[in-house]
Amino acid sequence: MSKKNKITCSIITLLLLGGLYIYFEFYNYPRIDIDKVSTEIKTSSKNLTASFIQNEKNANSIYKGKIIEVEGVVKEVSFLNNRNTVILYGDNKYSGVLCDMQSNQMIEIRKLVKGQKIMLKGVCKGFLKDAILLNCMLINQQSNE
Amino acid sequence: MNRIIILLSLLINFTDSDNRSDQVITRQGQVSFFSYTSVENIEAKNNQVLSIIDFSRSEIAISMLMNAFVFKKSLMHEHFNESYIESDLYPKATFQGSIIDFDPLAEGIQTKMVKGTLTIRDIAKEVEIKTSIENIDGTYLITGDFEVVVKDFEIKIPPILAPNIAKNISIKFRFEYQPYEK
Repeated sequence: MSKKNKITCSIITLLLLGGLYIYFEFYNYPRIDIDKVSTEIKTSSKNLTASFIQNEKNANSIYKGKIIEVEGVVKEVSFLNNRNTVILYGDNKYSGVLCDMQSNQMIEIRKLVKGQKIMLKGVCKGFLKDAILLNCMLINQQSNE
Repeated sequence: MNRIIILLSLLINFTDSDNRSDQVITRQGQVSFFSYTSVENIEAKNNQVLSIIDFSRSEIAISMLMNAFVFKKSLMHEHFNESYIESDLYPKATFQGSIIDFDPLAEGIQTKMVKGTLTIRDIAKEVEIKTSIENIDGTYLITGDFEVVVKDFEIKIPPILAPNIAKNISIKFRFEYQPYEK
């Protein structure tokens, strides 16, 4: 094999290995770390649920897939299905904001009490009976009301 | 689309009904799916599934956001939502059906058939699912599993990825209901 061919082969091999590395890094990248992405929209749990109840299609176009910061009052903290979930009061008795917390939030969540005003950040996925946020983390935690 | 309207009206009727004692709800039902092939195994979970049972009519309604399924790998999540389920066009999957011969007052575990319509990507299929229903002091735990055929819901898988995705997908569910009004 000539020197030129050897160099070409080496470059192709390096490119292939580089491509594979990037592919597998991306492929195996688990989930979004909410701490490392910036907030796109700030709102309150009441406004968020009211928007979805009034016009779900319109609210989806504003919030769905966005990183949002939500201020609200704790209705319930749930550990069902081995998940850490914080439910915030919404605009009415039957709807709220369901926040599935990141696993690194467990210690902070255990300290929360019903009626406490908090702010959290997460990815809005849409609305069923409640607005649903995944990958949530607490921010600027305030004292009990 | 009509079925979604019917399901929504059913959920709204439940909400507006004065008699809530006949109804139980979960906002955090769990639905998992599994695709097993020799190339790779794919698994995803949705922990925010909404379901309401109306005992007076033995009816059950379920609704879930397809983009709330969590995968181990981000690219799987992207393929699922953008290429297969097209969750921007079809954001929700729903089920509406009846629990056959169900006695809500019986304590302990009952095995019952649930018959109804499963709608994914706006395509409705009649299904019959064997479920275990456990009544513990008025809270109900419903679990079960069944299979869906990928082809039934017109999910297009590119030939190059066909070996990676099973033709039949296993679905597992676990719903822990509470009385409707807390």
